[in-house]
Amino acid sequence: MMPWMNTSRRSFLVSSSLASAGLLVARPAWAMPKGALVPAPDGPPPQAANEAAILAASRVLADEAVAKVAVEAAIAAGARYADARLVLYRTENIGVRDDHIDHVARHEGYGIGLRVIADGGWGFAATTDVSAKVAPQLAKQAVASAKRNGAMLRALGRPEVAWAPLAHPEGGTWVAPHEIDPFSVAIQDKADLLLQATGAMLKQPGVRFANAMVASVVEDKLFISSEGLRVHQIVPRLAPSLTAVAVDLKKGGFASREHEAPPMQGGWEYVQSLDLPGSAPELAAQANQKLHARSVEPGARHVILAPSNLWLTIHESIGHPTELDRAMGLEANFAGTSFIGPRDAGSLKLGSALVNLVADRTQPGGLATVGWDDDGVQSGRWDIVRDGIFVGWQTTRDQAGWIGEEHSRGCSYAQGHDGLAFQRMPNISLQPGKEGYTTEDLVNATENGVLVQGRGSWSIDQQRYNFQFSGQMFWEVKRGRITQPLRDVAYQANTIEFWHSCDMVGGEGTYRLGGAFGDGKGEPMQLNAVSHGCPPARFMANIINTSESARGAK
Amino acid sequence: MSMTTKDAERLVKRVLDQASFGDVRVHVASHTHGYSRFAQGAPTQCGDSTKVTVTVTAVKDGRHATASGSRTDDASIGALVKQAEELAALAPVDPEVMPPLGKMSPSAASHVDPEVSKMGAEQRAAQIEQAIASARSLRLDAAGFVDHFDLSEAMGDRAGLFVHQRRTQVSMSTTCRTSDGTGSSKAGVVGHALKAAGIDGGKLAHEAGGWALQSRAPVAVPPGRYTVVLSPNAVAEMLLFFVQALSHRAAVEGRSFFSAPEGKTRVGEVLFDSKIHIWSDPDDHHHPASKFTSEGVVQPKVDWVKNGRVEALTAGRYWSQHAGVPLLPAPSSLHMAGDQGDLDSLIAGVDRGILVTRFWYNRLLEPETILATGLTRDGTFLIEKGKLSHSIKNFRYNESPVTLLKNVAALGKPRRAGLLPEGVWVVPPMVVRDFNFESSSDAV
Repeated sequence: MMPWMNTSRRSFLVSSSLASAGLLVARPAWAMPKGALVPAPDGPPPQAANEAAILAASRVLADEAVAKVAVEAAIAAGARYADARLVLYRTENIGVRDDHIDHVARHEGYGIGLRVIADGGWGFAATTDVSAKVAPQLAKQAVASAKRNGAMLRALGRPEVAWAPLAHPEGGTWVAPHEIDPFSVAIQDKADLLLQATGAMLKQPGVRFANAMVASVVEDKLFISSEGLRVHQIVPRLAPSLTAVAVDLKKGGFASREHEAPPMQGGWEYVQSLDLPGSAPELAAQANQKLHARSVEPGARHVILAPSNLWLTIHESIGHPTELDRAMGLEANFAGTSFIGPRDAGSLKLGSALVNLVADRTQPGGLATVGWDDDGVQSGRWDIVRDGIFVGWQTTRDQAGWIGEEHSRGCSYAQGHDGLAFQRMPNISLQPGKEGYTTEDLVNATENGVLVQGRGSWSIDQQRYNFQFSGQMFWEVKRGRITQPLRDVAYQANTIEFWHSCDMVGGEGTYRLGGAFGDGKGEPMQLNAVSHGCPPARFMANIINTSESARGAK
Repeated sequence: MSMTTKDAERLVKRVLDQASFGDVRVHVASHTHGYSRFAQGAPTQCGDSTKVTVTVTAVKDGRHATASGSRTDDASIGALVKQAEELAALAPVDPEVMPPLGKMSPSAASHVDPEVSKMGAEQRAAQIEQAIASARSLRLDAAGFVDHFDLSEAMGDRAGLFVHQRRTQVSMSTTCRTSDGTGSSKAGVVGHALKAAGIDGGKLAHEAGGWALQSRAPVAVPPGRYTVVLSPNAVAEMLLFFVQALSHRAAVEGRSFFSAPEGKTRVGEVLFDSKIHIWSDPDDHHHPASKFTSEGVVQPKVDWVKNGRVEALTAGRYWSQHAGVPLLPAPSSLHMAGDQGDLDSLIAGVDRGILVTRFWYNRLLEPETILATGLTRDGTFLIEKGKLSHSIKNFRYNESPVTLLKNVAALGKPRRAGLLPEGVWVVPPMVVRDFNFESSSDAV
C-alpha cells in the first residue's frame, strides 16, 4: 500500500541524539498497561476468581429487604414497572505534591434509588436514609411524579414510555476481574510509590514541580426489579496520574508532561504494573524538551495519533453522536444532538473503509464493562461502524422501539444511587488493521506530519462536527522520520472529513485502551466511566499554533 | 426538609464527641434536590433526592486524612471518626498542614426562599407545561430542565469553629429548535429565590423561541478576528477560566498567566482596560452565594481587578501564611461592573461585528496565556450598521479572557448569567475588539 515504506528500526531513528524520542515512540514498557492489549472477546465478560467471597462480604446485602419493599410498594401504589438500586460507591483519593503528601481521603456514598413507570411516565426518588420505614415513602414520591408525567404526556397526545422486553430475563452476579482490592493496600505503600515517582521527576534539572495521584473506586450495586430480576455487581476502577512541570524562571514560560497511563477497571496490580517511579525520569525529561521545543508551523497535514491521544477523539466524534437519545433530541438542552439522524444506520458513510468501530461492554479492563446494565440487560458487543458505514446505535430499553429494535443494546447507567439511569456510552473501540502496521510504519510512510501522544485539551460542537484536540507530546515527522519535538500544537477537523481521511491504522500489536472516569452527560450532569481501544492511525487535520491564537492575550 | 442550625450543631457535636485526636474537623451537609427534564416537547425524566454527608478530617503530628459517609447513627459516626483517625495515623507527614481554624464569623444574612424549599414534581411540571405550550404556539420543539435544591451545611472543629449556612437555589432553562433543523436557541434563569429568579416557563420558551426563529438558515462567514458583542452568558463562560487562573501560589511558582520573572507576581500591575472592575461578594443582596468554603473559611468581599489593575489573587490557608498574603479562598461568586445599556444598545453601536449569545464546550488550551477554546452555540449573528443582518454559522474560538478584559469597546448593564447555574455570575454584556474565531462549524 505504501511502496516507500521502510519498517526497520534503524531508518526510524534519524540520529543518535533523537534516539530517546524514537524509543519512546516505539512505546516504552509503561505505556503497555496490563489488560490493555486484549482485543474484545465474544461472549459474557470473565469474572474475578474469588467472586463468591467478594459478593458475600458486600455491605449492601444487609438492605436487600429494603429494596424489595420499595419495589413492592411502588407496584402497590400503581406502578407498572419498578426497579431499586442499592449502591455503595467507595472512593479513595491519595495525592502527593512534590516531596510530600497532599491529601488522603476516603468517601462512601451509600443510598437507594427507586425508579418507576406509572401511567406511562417516569418517576424517580432517592435517599441516603436506607430503611424499611423510608422505602414506602420513596415509592409514594416516585409513583406520584411518574403519574404527573404520565398525565402530561396524555394531555399532550404523546406516547407513554415503551419498555422493551429483556432478551435474557435472568439476573445474576458479576465481579470485575481483579487480584488486589485497592482498599486493601496500605496508605503508606501507596504514598511511598507516588512520592518515589515525584522524587524521581524532581531530580531532572529544570523540572520544578511534580504531582501524582491515584483515585480508586469500588462500585457495589444491587439491582432488584419488579420483573423479578436480581443483579449484584462489584466493579473496582483505578485512575493513576503523574505529572512533571518544567519552568523557565528567567524568561518565564512552563510546560507539563502527564503520564499516559489510562484509568482502568481492575485491581491495584494495574498500578503496580505501570512502574510509575521507573517511568518518571523520562517523562520529566520530556517536560523540559517540550518547554524548549520549536513552536509548530500551522497548516493542513497528516497527523499520526497514538492510542493515548486517539481514544478521546473516538469518544467525542464517534461515541457521542452514535447515542440514540442525542439523535432523537433528548439531550438538546445541554449535551446537544447529533449530526447522525435516526434513520442513518446502514447508509451513512462515516469514514474510509479502514474504519471499523465496535461497542463492547464485555471487554477485559474496559471501564464500561459490566455483566448487566442498569436496566437489567445483559452486556454485549455489536458494530457501530463497519467498513466505514455507520451501522449501529447505543440504546436502552426505553429507546429500542424508536428504531424498530426488539431489544436494548444494554447502555443504561446511573452514577451512584441518586443518579437516574439513562443512555450512557459503552466501550467503543477502533479495530486494528489487517496489515499489522506498527507506529514506525505509519511514521515511515509520512512525508510531512505531526505525531501526537497523550491527552491534552479537547472540545467539540453540540452536533459533533467541528473538533479540536491537543495532546501531551508532539513530534515533527518529515520524509518518514521523526525530526524534533514541537510545542503549541492543536489539531482541528470536521468529523466526517477526518474519518474519511483515515488511510493507515496500526495492527493488533499496537492496540491499546484509553479512557476516562469523567464522561459527562444529562441534567443534572452524571459521570460515566468508559474506555476506548485503538491502534495508532493516520489522518489529515488542520494544525493550529496555539501560541499564535493567543497573541491578543500577551 | 433541610437541617436547621440546631440540627447541624447537634450532629457536629456528636461527631466531635467521638474523636480521640485533639484536632478533628467535621463538615456536615443535608441536601434536598428535585429536577424534571423535558425534550421533544414532552416530559422525560424527573427525580427527587435527599442526601446527608458527614466528612471527618483527623489531624495529628502533621499527619492528616479525611473520611466521609452518609450514615448518621452513632455507630456509623463512630466508625467514620475511627477510620479518619486510623488513616491519618498511617499517612506521611504533610509539612503544609495547618492548625484548626477556630472561630469564624460569617454574616447572618438569609439565603433561603421557603417557596423553593417547598417545590416538588407538581411545581416543576406546571412550569414545563407552560414552556411546552409557549413553544408549541410558535411551532417549535422544546427541551429543557427545571432544578431546585435546599442545602444546609455546617463546619466545626475542636478549637471553637462552628459555622452554618442554608441556601436555596432554583433554575430553569429551555432550548427551542425550529422544525427545519436550522434554528436553535436557549434561555435560562437561576436564583436563590423563586420570584426574583424569574422562573416562568412560558416566558423562557418565548424568549428562546424568538431567538431560535431569528437564527434560522444561517449563512457562512469566514473565520478571523472580529469585533464581538457577547451576552452576559458568553462573558461568564470565558471569565470562568480567568477565575480559575487567580492563584497566588501558581503565580509565584512561575506556572500562571499572573507569573512575573524570578518568582514574582503581577499583582499591582495594570493589565486590563481601566473600565474593568471584578469582585466577589457572598452576601450580595440580589445574588447571594456560599458564605464559607468546605474548610469553614469565610468568603470575604474582595476586589480582584479594579481600574484594570490586578488587586489580589487567591491563597489557601498554608500559602497565605507561607507567602504573607491575605487568606482569600477561590470565590463563590463573581461580579463585573458595567454600564447602563442593554444588549440591543450595544449592538446598535457596532458597525460590523458578530453577536455571540453563548459559548459551548469551553476548555482551557494553554494556561500560560489562559488561552481557551470552544464554540458559539444557539444563535450567532452578523451585525452590520448597528443591526443584526444575518444568522451565521457557528464558530470555534481560540481566545483568552485576557483579550476580553483588554480589548473592551463597550460594556452594558450587568445581569445574572442564567445559563450557568453552577455559580453566581453577574456580568455585563460586552463589546470586544479583535476576538479570534479559528474555524467554522455546521452544528445547529
